[in-house]
Amino acid sequence: MEDTHYVVLKKENFDQFISLLAQKQKLVAPVPKGFKSFAFEPVDSASQVALKYIPTVLPLKKYFMPQRETLLEYTAGKGVKAEAVVEYESLTIFGAHTCDLAGIQCLNMVFSERPKDYNYLTRKNKITIIGLECNEYCDEYASCNLVDASFPGGGYDLFLTDLGDYFIVHVNTRAGDEIVASTRSFDKTELSQLDELRKLRDAKRKIFVNEVPIETKHIPELFDRSFRARVWKDLEARCLACGNCTNVCPTCYCFDVRDELDLTLKNGIRYRVWDSCQLEPFAKVAGGFNFRKERSVRQRHRYYRKFRYPVERFARYFCTGCGRCTRTCMADINLKETLNELLKESEDRVWKRWL
Amino acid sequence: MKKPKVAFFDFACCEGCQLQVANMGETVLDVLGLIEVVEWREVMSEKWGKKVDVAVVEGSITDPHAVKRIKKIRKRAGAVIAYGSCATIGGVNGMKNNFPLEDIKHYVYGDSHRFFPTEQTKAVHQVVPVDYFVHGCPVYIPEFVAVLKAALQGIPYYPPDYPVCVECKLNENVCMYDRGVSCLGPVTRAGCNSWCINNGNICYGCRGMVSNPNEKGAQDVIAKYKIPMELVLNKMNMYNKCRELD
Amino acid sequence: MEKMVIKDSSYKLEKAKILRTKQLTDKEKFFEIALGNGQPLDHEPGQFIMISLLGIGEVPISVASSPAGRDSFDICVRAVGKVTNALHKLKAGDEIGIRGPYGKGFPIRVLQGNDLLIIAGGLGLAPLRSLIHFVLDNRRDFGKVHILLGCKQPGELLFGDELEDWNKRTDLYYACTVDRADPDWAGNVGLITTLIPGVDIEPARTFAAVVGPPVMYNFVIKELLSKGIPERQILLSFERNMKCGNGKCGRCQIQNLYCCQDGPVFNYEKIKNLSEAM
Repeated sequence: MEDTHYVVLKKENFDQFISLLAQKQKLVAPVPKGFKSFAFEPVDSASQVALKYIPTVLPLKKYFMPQRETLLEYTAGKGVKAEAVVEYESLTIFGAHTCDLAGIQCLNMVFSERPKDYNYLTRKNKITIIGLECNEYCDEYASCNLVDASFPGGGYDLFLTDLGDYFIVHVNTRAGDEIVASTRSFDKTELSQLDELRKLRDAKRKIFVNEVPIETKHIPELFDRSFRARVWKDLEARCLACGNCTNVCPTCYCFDVRDELDLTLKNGIRYRVWDSCQLEPFAKVAGGFNFRKERSVRQRHRYYRKFRYPVERFARYFCTGCGRCTRTCMADINLKETLNELLKESEDRVWKRWL
Repeated sequence: MKKPKVAFFDFACCEGCQLQVANMGETVLDVLGLIEVVEWREVMSEKWGKKVDVAVVEGSITDPHAVKRIKKIRKRAGAVIAYGSCATIGGVNGMKNNFPLEDIKHYVYGDSHRFFPTEQTKAVHQVVPVDYFVHGCPVYIPEFVAVLKAALQGIPYYPPDYPVCVECKLNENVCMYDRGVSCLGPVTRAGCNSWCINNGNICYGCRGMVSNPNEKGAQDVIAKYKIPMELVLNKMNMYNKCRELD
Repeated sequence: MEKMVIKDSSYKLEKAKILRTKQLTDKEKFFEIALGNGQPLDHEPGQFIMISLLGIGEVPISVASSPAGRDSFDICVRAVGKVTNALHKLKAGDEIGIRGPYGKGFPIRVLQGNDLLIIAGGLGLAPLRSLIHFVLDNRRDFGKVHILLGCKQPGELLFGDELEDWNKRTDLYYACTVDRADPDWAGNVGLITTLIPGVDIEPARTFAAVVGPPVMYNFVIKELLSKGIPERQILLSFERNMKCGNGKCGRCQIQNLYCCQDGPVFNYEKIKNLSEAM
């Protein structure tokens, strides 16, 4: 740790800091919505911001790849008159937890892989991210340690850790430096304050342990053994195929592309909208054949897209442990439980071989 | 280009969907720029009676007279749009099918029942072929406009075959199940942009079920809210009774 | 929200013009298309393009012509959905939008010098026609060439005049079968698998190229394996409902593979353990 990279934001300066941020450009932060729910929404004062919150209904991906975004504008009729467009806005995100930062890191990899997605990349470059550390678990659904997302691992411009009377702030980028310089809300760090940060992290290492009894690096092997597991079959009867788990997932990015004409039927747009592998029509082809007809197979696909397939392509897990899929499932399909059951089933099989 | 002729008709219904269309405000002017409305009992007195390009039909088919009338309409229409739950899935009128027809006749018309022949409630497509469906009770105007545009473009419109939850999540509503209230969103066909939940209400399932709903799973979920199974089934059947006739 | 035009968007459309159309069957129509910029499409046999009808939508369609020797290209479209039905209404002179070509086609350079067993079921002939034309245009670069064709009934046979020509040629073996005959049909009757035992091949130097409806693959592969053709020499092209073509939208995913980028042509060895493939 180089102490020059750290500054201090005293709690008494927090209000001023948020107000100044909001004056610079649109600022979004977690806001309470009641019923233990939170959402990232525009704010202009610190009083609106929830500093303690469980993961929001929708993750940050809604700013990076909006639910619905225009890709093409055109004139309908004879001839092809079309222009590819991107919609974007300058935005500061305040209060991103490490799980959500990990989610954006995943999406960055996907959309910068060739062929690059310039809609995503253009928008991403207009967004400033300020992270906020979780000193303890948000609730029992999180499994961030299992996927190495419980400690800050980059992906932010500034990162705040709440240490009582003050936040210690890691300045990670030039954009972060500029915020520090322009808002003038920060103080220099003292060595004792850095020491407090070290102590917090040590304490966290005791609190945050793998939520499922498996070493992180062994997860791909578990999934290699589990493609035909009984666990998936059990999900067939329970899953309602509502798509909630994928829509709230910080790393699910599947989409549909659709056309729409205006009321004159003369001008139109082509847009993309979030889609989900959990929905019945997703893997249907023109002749009507459905390559993932059963709900169990669709659920399995979701888990493999988090824990197995991206390991080959991007060398990381696409689960960030945020727990959203579990919280949102009215059928109580629980990610930690599923992993536990996979483990148990896999161990049973190993034992049977010995007997 | 000559404007396509469009006529509105109604059968057994509350005419609420017509009211939605009539209340479209500025949108209605833009849409009217594209079409010529030749028949519409609720808003005009003229009767056209000849061929139309598009017939927009509200209401369910519930008696022999209606069967005859809808067949005639079908014959003189290029395309038929069924709109509103009564027309597309039978809707609340389908509750009639819970009882023997004789009982129904006596109950409603008393001694005069023999002057009022009646039939099981049917959705429009259960009597004549339908080209476009605009589900909902009432219809969601943006979807109605989308369907009208598709009809004028001469291309099909496929109502979404995924649940209301999808649109509800995209709107980032707090889930009704998190509020401790049961909601039919998970089994109900989307396309309404989760209109009711956006406005604080639950989903009543007015758009009919998705084509392959996990009904048993949904019943189990709702039953967790200590709602008797009979009530759960009634909830599911409120709009959906007529699907037995599909 | 601000908006700007992006020149390098992967959704940008190329203009293209329909030069010629021909109704092949009740459901299938042939289109010859040229890019507006006068350049050839520069595709490989087995690749696909995204075809746009503005205001209606976009569909993935295989290219059905050889890349060599001409500036225009062919497609063969079955009217099954919104876009394909609308496409059928277009005629010569109409403009459409194009993206692509996308994906990995048949590995031409690997195939050269070897024998080919080409097996097409129904509309699967469209992408294979691209390969067949390429092979016939460069006939001496390949060894023995077998073409086996199957479809449900005689009325569904595509490219009838070309089939006659293939049948007459002495430099290739051609056979065709229908599932159900009609009174005028004098040829083979039966599933396409019934044609495979009869072909005379040297399995070690034979590459099979198979495209057809999903149900066909398992049966055909079984026959090919029993002929002794090595797994990695069995090439299959898969149909999926691609929306982006860029390996992003997830529609075409077969377990860890993206049909639009890693395929649509795969060798059997690579996908044999993927239950979502067939």
